[in-house]
Amino acid sequence: MDYIGEHSLISFLGRASVALSFAGALATVFFYSLYFFSSSEKKRYNHSGIKSAGRLSFAFHSIGVLGTIGILFTALFNHWFEFDYVWRHSSMEMPMKYIASCFWEGQEGSFLLWTTWHVILGWVLVGTAKKWEFGTLMLLAMVQVFLTSLLLGIYIGDLKIGSSPFILIRELPENIGLPWTELRDYLIRLPSLRNGQGLNPLLQNYWMVIHPPTLFLGFASVTIPFLFALTGILEKKYYEWVIPALPWTFFGISILGTGVLMGGAWAYEALSFGGFWAWDPVENSSLVPWLTLVAAGHLMMIVKHKKSAPASALFLTILSFLLVLYSTFLTRSGILGETSVHAFVDLGLNGQLITFLGFFSIGSIFIYLFHWKNFPKSPSEEAFSSREFWMFIGSMTLLISAAQITFSTSIPVLNKFIGPEGILPILVNPMAPPADAAKHFNSLQIPLALVITSLLAIGPFLRWKETPNALFNRILPSFIISIIISALCIWGLELFNPLYAALLFVSIFGVFSNADYWIRIVRGRWTTSGMALAHLGFSLVLVGALISNGKKEAISTNATYIHEDFPSNENILLPLNDTVSMYPYYVAWRNERTEGHNRVFDVDFYETEGASTWDDFKRPELKPAFTLNPFIQINARMGNVREPSTKHFWNRDVYTYISYADLRPLNEKNGDWSEPMEAVLESGEEVFLFNEYLLYCDTLNVQNASINQNSGEIEHLDLELDLILKSMNGGETNLTLPYHLDGNEAQTSEIELEEKGLKFRFDGVATAEGKFNITAWEKNNGDPPFVLLQAFIFPYINLLWLGSILMGMGTLLAVWKRVYRAINENKK
Amino acid sequence: MKKTQIVLLLVISIMIGALLVTLEDASVYATFEIADRQKPETVTVVAKVDLASPINFDPKTTLLTFNAIDKDGDSRSVVYNQPKPSDFERSEEITLTGHSTDLNFVATEILMKCPSKYTDDNELDTTGIYSVNF
Repeated sequence: MDYIGEHSLISFLGRASVALSFAGALATVFFYSLYFFSSSEKKRYNHSGIKSAGRLSFAFHSIGVLGTIGILFTALFNHWFEFDYVWRHSSMEMPMKYIASCFWEGQEGSFLLWTTWHVILGWVLVGTAKKWEFGTLMLLAMVQVFLTSLLLGIYIGDLKIGSSPFILIRELPENIGLPWTELRDYLIRLPSLRNGQGLNPLLQNYWMVIHPPTLFLGFASVTIPFLFALTGILEKKYYEWVIPALPWTFFGISILGTGVLMGGAWAYEALSFGGFWAWDPVENSSLVPWLTLVAAGHLMMIVKHKKSAPASALFLTILSFLLVLYSTFLTRSGILGETSVHAFVDLGLNGQLITFLGFFSIGSIFIYLFHWKNFPKSPSEEAFSSREFWMFIGSMTLLISAAQITFSTSIPVLNKFIGPEGILPILVNPMAPPADAAKHFNSLQIPLALVITSLLAIGPFLRWKETPNALFNRILPSFIISIIISALCIWGLELFNPLYAALLFVSIFGVFSNADYWIRIVRGRWTTSGMALAHLGFSLVLVGALISNGKKEAISTNATYIHEDFPSNENILLPLNDTVSMYPYYVAWRNERTEGHNRVFDVDFYETEGASTWDDFKRPELKPAFTLNPFIQINARMGNVREPSTKHFWNRDVYTYISYADLRPLNEKNGDWSEPMEAVLESGEEVFLFNEYLLYCDTLNVQNASINQNSGEIEHLDLELDLILKSMNGGETNLTLPYHLDGNEAQTSEIELEEKGLKFRFDGVATAEGKFNITAWEKNNGDPPFVLLQAFIFPYINLLWLGSILMGMGTLLAVWKRVYRAINENKK
Repeated sequence: MKKTQIVLLLVISIMIGALLVTLEDASVYATFEIADRQKPETVTVVAKVDLASPINFDPKTTLLTFNAIDKDGDSRSVVYNQPKPSDFERSEEITLTGHSTDLNFVATEILMKCPSKYTDDNELDTTGIYSVNF
């Protein structure tokens, strides 16, 4: 049947592109793996044929992927709401600049994004990997087979394989067989298909445009070292693989690290979690592969220098990729539903995700163990004073840190195994995540961070193989400076928690020793600055995180109303237009308005002139400091979202959000009106009103009147009634009430005297000659409208962002160093 | 024994230690009855807001008082010393983290699950089909 207006052909083309990319990936695996199954003689002979066939298949795969993206964008751009994906993720009202966010809001789109990065990185491999091309592209294509299969959307019997972004709404299982799907013109008849559900307002911001591509590029670049590691094992080049893998590893560290921190910045800027890191399972599961990748990168450098002992480097490189897959499984299977605020929705692909994870875990672990005995062992023991020994210790500490975070995040998975309804019902009650996540993670992660940071402070000064004792003197200056500065910081910030104080010291040590190394030893040469800058950045991130979180201060403490059973809490009550003390500021809630999805609140902050202590605060001279506009996003899909507003200073942020507000319009909640009081008055007459006023009826003015010539009836009439409101204290207020008559229809309007809390209406001329009907209301004196506000000061949080940037730059320089050397070697 | 082997042994033992601490820190999904038995230990209770009984919120002390019914059908008075979450009445299920006292259940954190999030709104509304003429 031909459906009118439906883009069935496009839907078909979309699915065909997915199928092409799937088939292309399968063909790539086939051709490249031919190389591995042929004898060494044939390898040399078939070499170029295999290469061309493999590349051609990968080209078909790439065309399929690009076609899929192109078609999905076309459908989104043209608002073809017969596509389920388009209907679910976009709408007519949505600004076009967020079209990319719609693209990857859903699971299918984000898988596509990941697949695309693999294609791009795959072509870089084709161009640069040379003899490694066979193995790496074969394995990459295997990953792509799984990823594209997630987009297939076909059924084999009852088994659903993938979820297609091109499925039409009428083809959804729940709609098949419904009468409307039989209508040729259903698109015209179904009004709800004229517009989509729209992008979740929470995701309509620029972070959603830049965060997912960065994070997925990070994930994709974790894949590449894995490809080299596994190819290395298969081709028995047990340590040579680290040379091409190292720049990719640093690239992954840089991009994935930036992606993770960007997520933190998004949470801090736009969500009211009250910080940049909430140890949420979804955040954790992208941090864990980064930690193991950093460990893997350092272990690779050991292998590169020793040309042996690759076991741990291979293991961590493989593990990083497996953890990316595990993180994909955690966030997309719906298993975190109860424990995370931002996991994806279950698409019914769990079986497939587990197969994906299982295939690569079992496969690579099998290959690893099978070759285990062939791995070259280290000929000599590392000396205590060697760089490699301490690098190894540091990497192992990172591994422990990653393992601990994984344990805690996997509690819902653990329940599936040993919970009361699990495979092995050991537990009587299912486990829940730790009640105080921050305390739990801090108590375990800070000691590990202490070890890692002290190592990265000392590490650069150590030499490979053995460090002469004299070299230790080089660290001394930065060590002494760090002791002095951290003592000052600890004293100045009153950061007396021993763990925090210790971490602050080693982080500051990390900053100074790496800065020292950069200035004195590297002398600022860009190609070799990578290590020092990355380490300095990481230490700064820790200093910033530690101070801003450890000394985060809730200034909105409610000091006025304290419940007998609870300590005073961090919500301050702001009645409209009342100036409330919130040390070191005074705040006033001035107004609220609706802007698009948002209800925006204007909160003015005042400083006191010259006041420095609490005593001076009693009779303050207020001076406007700044205005913040926290808002509440009215979000039917996710529930309303409180979004913060932050004033950034160089040394601190003032962060606020509205923690409770009545969302009725301001005039509605501004007290209710009394029962109406009706009066019938003639000119010159007075009436006693609400025990407080005298209402004097002055004159009636006829502004406009026209009479129908034929019938003699009034056609049009505009009247104005002048009244005088007399207060008991002798004050008088003039007011004019309008009245319009158009044929038989009367129009009246209510006139409000805001400052008096009164409103009036002129209801027309009364039946009695010369009298007028007037209705009056008085405002009930209820409590004024209020909001609850939370405000925090995050001191020195800019150190964290500065550190993030330095770390990203440093790791990219480490990539550049290796690329630069490779280019120069080629020239020779 | 080589140094690396000693380090690896250490790593494994620390990992086991960290796992044990994690298990120790983990709270349990419980019912109000279990919470009463284990008071004042912190537990996590999945419950429903009892809409038949009053839900009080005093903005001055930011104290929210309501009744919740756990999955065994047990009802408890719950106090929560934080601002009332928006759309609280609309939530289908709430996850309460807190502990029991002699009087009531003191919640320190409430996570809400709104049914409208993905189901209601994402259902295609076919009620408005224009009149069909065959």
